[in-house]
Amino acid sequence: MSASTETGSPAGKTWKSKEEFLGCVILTDWILLVILFAVLLGSFHIHYMLLAGDWDFWIDFKDRRMWPTVAPIVAMCFAAASQSFFWTRFRLPIGATTVVLALLVGEWINRYDNFWGWTFFPINLVFPSALIPMGFWLDIVLMISGSWLITAVVGGLGWGLLFYPINWPVLAQYHQAAEIDGVLLTLADLIGFNYVRTGTPEYIRMVERGTLRTFGKDVVPVAAFFSGFISMLVYFLWWNMGKWFSTTKYLEIEEV
Amino acid sequence: MKSLNIQSLARCVTARAVRLWIFGLAVAGAITTLPAATPAAAHGERSQQAFLRMRTLNWYDVKWSKTELNVNDEMELTGKVHVFSGWPQAVAKPGESFLNVGEPGPVLIRKSAYVGEVPVPRTFSMDVGKDYEYKIVLKARRQGRYHVHVQINVKDGGPIVGPGQWITIKGDMKDFTNPVTLLEGSTIDLETYGITWTYIYHFFWMAAAAAWILYWFMTKGIIVRYWQVKAGKGAQLIGQDEKRIGAITLAAVLLAVIVFYAAANKEFPRTLPMQAGLLTGISPIDEPRSTVAVQFKGGSYTVPGRELRIRVKVANNGKEPVRLGEFTSAGLRFLNPEVFTSRPDFPDYLLADRGLSVSDPNPIAPGETRDMEVIVQDARFDIERLSDLAYDTDSQFGGLLFFFSPSGERQKAEVGGPVIPRFQAGAAL
Repeated sequence: MSASTETGSPAGKTWKSKEEFLGCVILTDWILLVILFAVLLGSFHIHYMLLAGDWDFWIDFKDRRMWPTVAPIVAMCFAAASQSFFWTRFRLPIGATTVVLALLVGEWINRYDNFWGWTFFPINLVFPSALIPMGFWLDIVLMISGSWLITAVVGGLGWGLLFYPINWPVLAQYHQAAEIDGVLLTLADLIGFNYVRTGTPEYIRMVERGTLRTFGKDVVPVAAFFSGFISMLVYFLWWNMGKWFSTTKYLEIEEV
Repeated sequence: MKSLNIQSLARCVTARAVRLWIFGLAVAGAITTLPAATPAAAHGERSQQAFLRMRTLNWYDVKWSKTELNVNDEMELTGKVHVFSGWPQAVAKPGESFLNVGEPGPVLIRKSAYVGEVPVPRTFSMDVGKDYEYKIVLKARRQGRYHVHVQINVKDGGPIVGPGQWITIKGDMKDFTNPVTLLEGSTIDLETYGITWTYIYHFFWMAAAAAWILYWFMTKGIIVRYWQVKAGKGAQLIGQDEKRIGAITLAAVLLAVIVFYAAANKEFPRTLPMQAGLLTGISPIDEPRSTVAVQFKGGSYTVPGRELRIRVKVANNGKEPVRLGEFTSAGLRFLNPEVFTSRPDFPDYLLADRGLSVSDPNPIAPGETRDMEVIVQDARFDIERLSDLAYDTDSQFGGLLFFFSPSGERQKAEVGGPVIPRFQAGAAL
C-alpha cells in the first residue's frame, strides 16, 4: 500500500518519524477495512434475508419471474448506499463490489454452517444468488461516468438485467427435467420435494405468479427490465440514504 | 484533536492488544461453533391450540412400516385422515394443502407422496367432511434417532401435525445416495449433484471481487484518499489510467458472464421452468356410508380429573350389534378395554389403551337408538395439552368414534361440539 504526506496531513510534532506516521495510517486503513466489511456484512445480510428471504434460501423458489424481480431490487439498496459512502468520501470505486462480496461471504457462512452443518440441507438446495458481476458493473459505471445520476439510470438498469444471466450458469443444471411417479418435475422442484422442510410447504413458493404475461414464455426479460427500472428508483433513494449515513461530525476540543 | 485520536489509537494497537484480540475472537468462535447441537425431540405439536388439533384433521390408521433402518433403506408412512366437518372458522379451509413430514431436518428424504392414487409432490385440495388415504415413501439419510410425524400444511391455516413415531437410523450419512434418472436418460446422484461447480462458480467471482477491492485499497488506502477528497483533489484520484483499468475490468467481467452463460446453454440445451400449480380433484376414500349415526347432545371437561364426558345419541342402522371401541382426536387414541383385548401397535405416548368407557357397555342392537355417555379419561389428554381446550376461544372438541361389530367390521362416526369446562373434581355433567 502506498501512502504519503502529499496532502499535508498532520504529521507534525506528535510523530517520531514519517515512517511511524505512515505505518499508523496503513494499520488504521486495514482496521477500517475489516470493520467496514464486517458492518456491511452484518447489516446487508439482515436486510437481504428479511426482504429476499426464501427466494435466496431455496433453489425451488428461484423462478423466472418473482426471483429476478425481487432479488436485484432489494440488493440495490445497500449497493447504492455503499457506493455513496465509498465514492463521495474516498473516490473508491468499490462500494457495490464490497457490499455484495460481504453479503456473499455472510451468506456462504450461513448456508454452510447452519443450513448444511446443523440441519443437513444439501448445498444444492440452499446456495445463494450470485451478485458479484452486478457489483462490478455498478462500480465501474460510476467510476467511468463519475455521475451518480448516470449510474442510477445505466447502472440500475444493468443491475436488473444482469441478474438472471449471472445466475444461469449454476441454475441451468437444476432445470433439467425428470419424471417422478408420472409427474414432470425439474431437478430444482425435486430437490425441494425430496429434502423435507417441515415449515416450508410447497404452496408458499411463488412460481411465476403475476400478470406480466405479454411476451409468452419469455418471462425473464420482462421481469429483468421491470427489476432494472425499479432498481433505478431505489438507487436514487438509497444513494441519498448512504450520503446521510456517512456524514461526519466532530466535537471540538472545547466542547469536551 | 485528530492527531491525538490517531496517536491514542496507535498506542492501543500494541502486540499485546493484538494477541488479546486474537484470543478473544478464538474464544468467541469456539463458543459459537464447538458445542454439539442437541437433537430436537418434538416439533411443537403440543403448542398448537387444542381446538385446532381436534377439529381440523383427524388422523387414523397411521402406520410406520419400519422403526429401524439403515442409511439408504426405505420405509412407508401410511394412514388416513378425516377432514372434520366442523372445521373451525378461525382456520382457513384446506383448499390448498401440502402433505408433509414433521422431522428435524431432512434426516429422511421424501422419495414420493400420494393421496389416494395421485402423486402429490405439489399442493393439493381437500374437501371438508371427506376422508383421504395417504402414503409417504421415506428414505433414511442421516444416522440417529428421530421423531417422525405425518403432517399436512394448510395454506393460511398452518401446519397440522399428526402422530409421531421414533425412528432409528443406523449407518453413516456419507454413504447416502439419491439416484435420479433424468428425462434424457442419464442417472445422477441428487445428493451431491452440481455442488462442486456451484462452489467453483461462486468462489471464482468472490475471489475476483476481493482482488478488485484489494487493488483499490492498496493504492492509497482509505485515509489518504479521504484527506485528498477533503482537500478538493478527488478528481486526481480517478484519472484516465484508472478509468482505463475499470473499462478493461468491466469488459472482462461481461465477457466472462457471456462465456459462462453460453457454456451453460450448450451443456444443458433442454431445460424447463419449475413446475407448480394446484392439484385438484383428488378423490376421497370411496367407502360405504357408515351404518352408525351419532348425534352430540352435550359435554363437559373436568380439568382436574382430565376427563372428557360427552352425551351422544347413537343409532345403529346396520345388521350387526356394535360397541364403541375407540375415540381418536388430535392423533391420540383412547381405547375401550372391553373391545380392544390386545394393545395395538402405536406410539405409547399417544395410546391410552384403557382411556375410554361408556355408561352402558352393552352392544347397541341393530335398529336400536340409545342415549349414552362416553367418558374419555387419561393423563395423555393433559400431557398432550388437549385440556387447554377449556381456555381456547372456541371451546369445541372434535374427533372420531369407532364402533365395532362381532364380525370385526368397523364403523366410523364423527363427533364434536361445545364442552363446558369443570374446574373442580367430581363436578357433574
